[in-house]
Amino acid sequence: MNIELRNVRFSYGPIRALDGVTLQIGEGACGLLGPNGAGKSTLLKILLGFLRPESGEGLVLGHDILKDSFGIRRVVGYMPEDDCFIPGLDAVAFTSHFGELSGMPRAEAMKRAHDVLYYVGLGEARYRLLETYSAGMKQRLKLAQALVHDPKILFLDEPTANLDPQGRTEILELISDITSKKDLHVLISSHILTDIEQTCRSLVILNKGTVAAQGELAALREVRFSLYEMKLKGESGAFLDGLRRRECRVEETEDGIVKVYLPQTVEQRDVFRLAGEAGIQIRHFVKSRTSLEDLFARTVGVD
Amino acid sequence: MAIAERGYTHWQGTLGTGRRPWRVIAGQAIRLAWKRKFFKLVLFGSLAPAVIFAAGIYVSERMEDFKEMFKGAEKFLQTNPAYFQAYFGSSFLIFMMLMIMVGSGAGLISDDLRHNALPLYFSRPLRKRDYIGGKFASLAFFLLLLTLAPGVLFILLKLIFSGSFKFLAEYPWLPLAFIGWSVFISSFFSLYTLLLSSLGRNRRYASILILAVYFLSTVFFGIFFGIFHEPAFCLISIEMNLRQLSAAFMGAKPQFDVPWIYSFLILSAIMAVSVLVLRKKIRGTEVIR
Repeated sequence: MNIELRNVRFSYGPIRALDGVTLQIGEGACGLLGPNGAGKSTLLKILLGFLRPESGEGLVLGHDILKDSFGIRRVVGYMPEDDCFIPGLDAVAFTSHFGELSGMPRAEAMKRAHDVLYYVGLGEARYRLLETYSAGMKQRLKLAQALVHDPKILFLDEPTANLDPQGRTEILELISDITSKKDLHVLISSHILTDIEQTCRSLVILNKGTVAAQGELAALREVRFSLYEMKLKGESGAFLDGLRRRECRVEETEDGIVKVYLPQTVEQRDVFRLAGEAGIQIRHFVKSRTSLEDLFARTVGVD
Repeated sequence: MAIAERGYTHWQGTLGTGRRPWRVIAGQAIRLAWKRKFFKLVLFGSLAPAVIFAAGIYVSERMEDFKEMFKGAEKFLQTNPAYFQAYFGSSFLIFMMLMIMVGSGAGLISDDLRHNALPLYFSRPLRKRDYIGGKFASLAFFLLLLTLAPGVLFILLKLIFSGSFKFLAEYPWLPLAFIGWSVFISSFFSLYTLLLSSLGRNRRYASILILAVYFLSTVFFGIFFGIFHEPAFCLISIEMNLRQLSAAFMGAKPQFDVPWIYSFLILSAIMAVSVLVLRKKIRGTEVIR
């Protein structure tokens, strides 16, 4: 496991940000998903040693989060959510500065800064003052400084925040390229579901400071519930009420399709039996792929 | 071939663990300050008194040659502790040091706070003391250029122009006094500047604070001293405390009849408070509880 946390708690005064978080994150790209205020950024800051948990323990690539934050910071590249830069510097000076701070020799840091700036697409603008950069360029710059010392794991906090669709696509392509490397792991914190869906293989969903779900994305989609799409003929009210009583979530679309989320306790035959009892016909019955949005809504409990 | 065309590649080197990150931070801050024209102008302007005092040392050793030119000024051209006190304790030098702090130090921390750079620093293997030490070192470097460097130069010139070690035999403690005073005043102004720079996220606000605190303390001293004629009021002025202490370091008579130890304690207390506040304010992430 790359990251393991056990029973981690943290509060901002009276507000509990993390409440007994226990999770394991393996190799590759992992999404940290949750609504605003779920505790995603707090979790990243605890992993980096910025915040000390009130209780609990954890490891990042074998380094203890309580005792060895320096060890963690040597192997982690961090891309914060907010715009971060040092005014008066150009991108080369900025990126090499953080390479040096990570322990790279000055000449090596400078050379590597050029390389990663080309990699993130800032090669032509690398000698421009950072104050003149657009939001998209600043986002790329943050990625460059996170990569400069060649970390083993990247923590990306809302990497596509404030980007236009084109900029978002480009950043996601970069992340996908990075995650294609077997020896560079990525933890992406985001509340944008499609970003996670596009780049990650595994997922941790946080909600109100607790882990609401975690595991491989494909498995999570399948295991928690099944989604079926139906077309009905007849008075469907009693049938749908019967499904809801069995803890199925029911959605009716404008084009007359009924989407039913079946929990593991309800089988397909139960649906047909209920339909028979309600005296309606099921004209169309197709198992649908559960989207991450559906999973998220079910797990977090929002529509 | 650009790396983007061949995807992400790894760096083949090994990260050093014995490096001193404060040096990297100091170096970057010095380079940034040096980029500003205003700063360079102030720095070179600040060195003007050192050139004049160095010339004074030369003249003092060649009084016979300059007798006519400096008639009546002989007593000011005797290179004794009072001569050096006139340099190290001069209002102009202290004022220029303040201007250098405004030019190079006001934005050192406030800019990092404003542009959220602290999480980037502290996501590296960096301690608070490395960050504060780096910023401190960059300011102290410029201040030592105005104090220690001229001090060493004065002694060397005196020895060269006089052609003997008589001066050092008379005042053997003077080199140590130069070092001690240079380190003290550089430390004081550096910490004072970092403290005020850390109080806000605006460089201009920090600049105004640096100047306002300094000058208001002297204005209040002037008002109280004018009303009560009590020399002890010099203790509320940063400038007067510095001048009292510089006289003590140089073994010269202080301007006010107040024990120098009080000035030392007051200035040291300001430095201690600065360190405490900086340690509290500087962190990788802002935590509002």
